[in-house]
Amino acid sequence: MYEAVTAYPAGDSTVSRQAATAADYGYSGLVVRTREADFDADAINDPYGVDAVRGIEIDAADPESAAGSVGNHRRDCTVLLVRGGTDALNRYAVETDRIDVLSRPMTGDGDFNHVLAKAAKTHNVHVEFDFGPVLRSSGGRRVQAIQRLRKLRELVEQYDTPFVVSVGADSHRQLRAPRELRAVGEQIGFEASQITAGLEAWGEIVARNRERQGEDFIEPGVRRGRYEP
Amino acid sequence: MKHLPKHIRPRWRYLAVGIESAPDAEIDRGAFQRALWYAAGNLLGDAGSADADLTVFGFEYADGVGEAIVRTRRGETDAARAALACIDSVDDDPIGLVVRGISGTVRACEESYLRGRSPDSVEETVAFADDQRPAIRRDDIVEISMPEGFVAATELDLH
Repeated sequence: MYEAVTAYPAGDSTVSRQAATAADYGYSGLVVRTREADFDADAINDPYGVDAVRGIEIDAADPESAAGSVGNHRRDCTVLLVRGGTDALNRYAVETDRIDVLSRPMTGDGDFNHVLAKAAKTHNVHVEFDFGPVLRSSGGRRVQAIQRLRKLRELVEQYDTPFVVSVGADSHRQLRAPRELRAVGEQIGFEASQITAGLEAWGEIVARNRERQGEDFIEPGVRRGRYEP
Repeated sequence: MKHLPKHIRPRWRYLAVGIESAPDAEIDRGAFQRALWYAAGNLLGDAGSADADLTVFGFEYADGVGEAIVRTRRGETDAARAALACIDSVDDDPIGLVVRGISGTVRACEESYLRGRSPDSVEETVAFADDQRPAIRRDDIVEISMPEGFVAATELDLH
């Protein structure tokens, strides 16, 4: 199971510290959302046994600037995320094959509907369930966050949209173990198996993209064979 | 009042909880219990919170790391785990929490899952982000004091 985290300098903990905590909690890998984060994946894997993966989360104001960043950063990272939050950005992200994950689609003015759910399935863009506000806010904001997660969950179940689960941790203290997330998920209407699937989906994205970045890969289903010059 | 015969006493489960916080955070048992009740009340509601009946039994905390034993009714351990996961801070100090295991007695809980005293921390100066900075080190983890607050790192990040 993998988690996706924000690390120093954008967050309060470095990648290696997040990895130390993730290893303790039973995760096998971490996707690092922060582009500026500086880390050595091999050095981290040695003591902690956690696969630290270079990801980039694009936080753009509109689809045009997001598209520019997608073109610039797609080759630099294994997992490319685009932060949603407006209807235009959500729509752009789910219709772009080069994007792996649409993160936080329901924050701010963002909303999700059946059209986006179908498009995300067609283009194999994973939609993120952000558990951060459920774990870290209270009162009306938390009620709204749970309502929005429910709406998103119903659409994802109906249209079989690929999804990921994350707590959006800025520091290692905000990480929670998979069993805790399953328990919280069950309290707010998820099934435990959905949470597990959402955490494992990060690992599937990483494996798929690493295969695509490999030298033998030509296109899905086509590999460089023995007879290739 | 005379205590209940053994077969109708409530059955309890004890959750071993690992706690982590900033090295300068002061957390005591009372504050942790309040945060736990608050989290349970908010997530599970009054009825669910009463069912879970969460009580902090053992509590030990020093220099940013701690352990607690939380008692709940048998059959409510999932609700208890969910309520614990929703504690994000105690008295405005952010904390990390993990349930290390669940036992049927306090003693088994301590023996199986709690590690006792954590290794002592030492204050020293480390090289991080192109400068020498004061830090607190415990084993391989380092809390580095920066102008904007502590940065949590490990010795892999030091140059």
